[in-house]
Amino acid sequence: MLIQEDLSIQEKLNILSDAAKYDVACTSSGVDRKGKAGGIGNTVASGICHSFSADGRCISLLKILFTNQCVYDCKYCVNRSSNDVVRTAFTPDEVCTLTMEFYRRNYIEGLFLSSGIINSPDFTMDLIYQALKKLRFQHHFHGYIHVKAIPGADPVLIEKTGYLADRMSINLELPTADGLKKLAPGKTRSKILTPMKQIQKGIAVNRYELMEYRKAPKFVPAGQSTQMIVGATPENDYQMMMVAEALYQNYDLKRVFYSAFVPVNQDSSLPALPGGPPLLREHRLYQADWLLRFYGFKADELLSEDKPNFNVLLDPKCDWALRHLELFPVEINCADYYTLLRVPGMGVKSVQRILAARRSGPLDFDALKKIGVVLKRAVYFITCSGRMMYPVKIEEDYITSHLIGEERRRSWDISTKGAYRQLSLFDDMKLTAEPAAFDQHSILTGSM
Amino acid sequence: MKTIYLCDNTLEGILCGVYDAWSSRKGHDNVKLELCDQERNIELFTEYEEVTTEQWKADKLVLSIRKKISEAAYEAVYKASLSKEPERADRIYRFLIYGFHIGAGVTDMLQIPAVFDIFTICRHLDHEVHLLTGFVRFAEMENPSLAENNSAVIGSAAIGSAEIVEQRSYLQRTGSANSILVSKIGPKNDVLVLLAPHFADRLSGENWIIYDEKRKKAVLHPSNRSWFLMTLDSPEWEDYLLKAASQDQYEELWKIFRKGITIKERVNPACQLNHMPLRYRPYMTEFDHSLKD
Repeated sequence: MLIQEDLSIQEKLNILSDAAKYDVACTSSGVDRKGKAGGIGNTVASGICHSFSADGRCISLLKILFTNQCVYDCKYCVNRSSNDVVRTAFTPDEVCTLTMEFYRRNYIEGLFLSSGIINSPDFTMDLIYQALKKLRFQHHFHGYIHVKAIPGADPVLIEKTGYLADRMSINLELPTADGLKKLAPGKTRSKILTPMKQIQKGIAVNRYELMEYRKAPKFVPAGQSTQMIVGATPENDYQMMMVAEALYQNYDLKRVFYSAFVPVNQDSSLPALPGGPPLLREHRLYQADWLLRFYGFKADELLSEDKPNFNVLLDPKCDWALRHLELFPVEINCADYYTLLRVPGMGVKSVQRILAARRSGPLDFDALKKIGVVLKRAVYFITCSGRMMYPVKIEEDYITSHLIGEERRRSWDISTKGAYRQLSLFDDMKLTAEPAAFDQHSILTGSM
Repeated sequence: MKTIYLCDNTLEGILCGVYDAWSSRKGHDNVKLELCDQERNIELFTEYEEVTTEQWKADKLVLSIRKKISEAAYEAVYKASLSKEPERADRIYRFLIYGFHIGAGVTDMLQIPAVFDIFTICRHLDHEVHLLTGFVRFAEMENPSLAENNSAVIGSAAIGSAEIVEQRSYLQRTGSANSILVSKIGPKNDVLVLLAPHFADRLSGENWIIYDEKRKKAVLHPSNRSWFLMTLDSPEWEDYLLKAASQDQYEELWKIFRKGITIKERVNPACQLNHMPLRYRPYMTEFDHSLKD
């Protein structure tokens, strides 16, 4: 494979940012670090989005590949070795200049450096390490750096890189070992999980070092993340969620990202996806992921072997609540934090506000609205001082039919975005069966 | 009869208004605060009273807010005074009535309308500050032009001549004095003061200016020194900033990068609009040709 050396920086940036775009993670969160005299940059725990691309995704980091040359032939990847695309590579100096100049102009929050595998995993990891070292020590850059650990690279290199980066990630790519074997013949499950375990242990050890000595160098302070492709292999949502939960529990991951599969290559082993990428499914997975991390849900509460996929029409939390109506209604003025969190229409922020506000007196529905509770959804599941807002039948069908109207519109927006429908007086879009001959006749003759 | 107190459009002015209205002992229902530079309808059967801003009154009130209510309440009052809300002076007054009555817990009691008003004002402000920490765009320009332009530019600004000399020497004395980063914003609220510390920490070694087009104010930061606020009400400034925006070579690279990172199969302008409202876009380099991608 020939690497084009004589491209201008514009062309290189175009090729290598285009090649990096399928990596989802662009967060700059998780670490708070003040600026330093003589250096440039700081980081903010909440992360900062600097722009949004036309697809609505946040641009927070300068997301580029070091090189799009790759020895692997993963079926789903645009950079696979059998694809005929222009191959090029940045030099560490170019990466540093771009990062520094973009950062000074406040275009970006930091650097996201990933790479195809050039020559060998060790060689690639070393290139990345050299670039980071230059950025941190020559240019005194103290902003955010997210870097990929290359599966199969020497643990020593990964460790050295970890002390320079804020977040590291290794993409799991596919939730099961079978899928990986089928679509990514060069990679194995153990090759991916070994460095993940190493980073997890490194972070745990570093935590003790920091307790002993506050100024010890920090190892991957913003934690590690991973990414799974949704819809490239026939795994169901239940399997995806179980894998995600296991990753959170066993590998202490900060985030698992889900990426709706976009077919970039023609290959017999890939699904065709005529309706575009599975965006609604990705959306539901993210919703459930939040429920796992912040709401105290377990994956097997949301889904089960018998019901392995998420409801298309209802979000996972409403769906769960409707299957557990025996737990509702919940009394706002005395329920505890975790009970309130499980009510549809309430989030972490609004529950915290409720807890703070009810110390000084009972809350009513008007106050809840001010606090930021989405009453449209919550109203079926709560009471204020023993009363519901209006008489509601606690009955699955009744509540479902009320909730679904609004949710249907939204899920329709996600799955068929950009399409417009003619306004109609009739609800005919809900009809699936053809009208019977008798009905057609009665409509035509006007004898309803 | 109702008395309306007209106060200056500053934190001190509003606090003095609160002080005067409260100490007049006319009763909370019989007084109202308004800002004197705001357009308003003159009300019948009311008395108007101009408030003179005196530092000692403001200091006294600040001290008692911090002591008797809480630091969080003072922060809320401070932020509310920077907001775009035309009724902010009266809102602060109503908030402080509950504040002095209840004490430290008042900031959590969103069920009280007066507290909720201040809470929404602060939330709007905080959101805008957070978005601007990302959406501010600097353009780099060479300093030589600063040497000549400075006298014309800063000279026409409304400050004393001694300060001018000092500022110019600030900007030239420093290490990376060969370039200066300039940026223009047009926020709804007066967020400049809240925005500056973030950039002062982040770009401590750079000379930079953030200019608020709507309020004709700017924050200046000479490298490795602390930042300061000044009023810059002159057309020369606008020209100066316009020129800066058109000579930066990294703008082209940034646009290439933004285009490259977009996945065409997922294009979703509604989602983009939600996250990045149109009102920020005229000030951002990537949208200098049009407001849509």
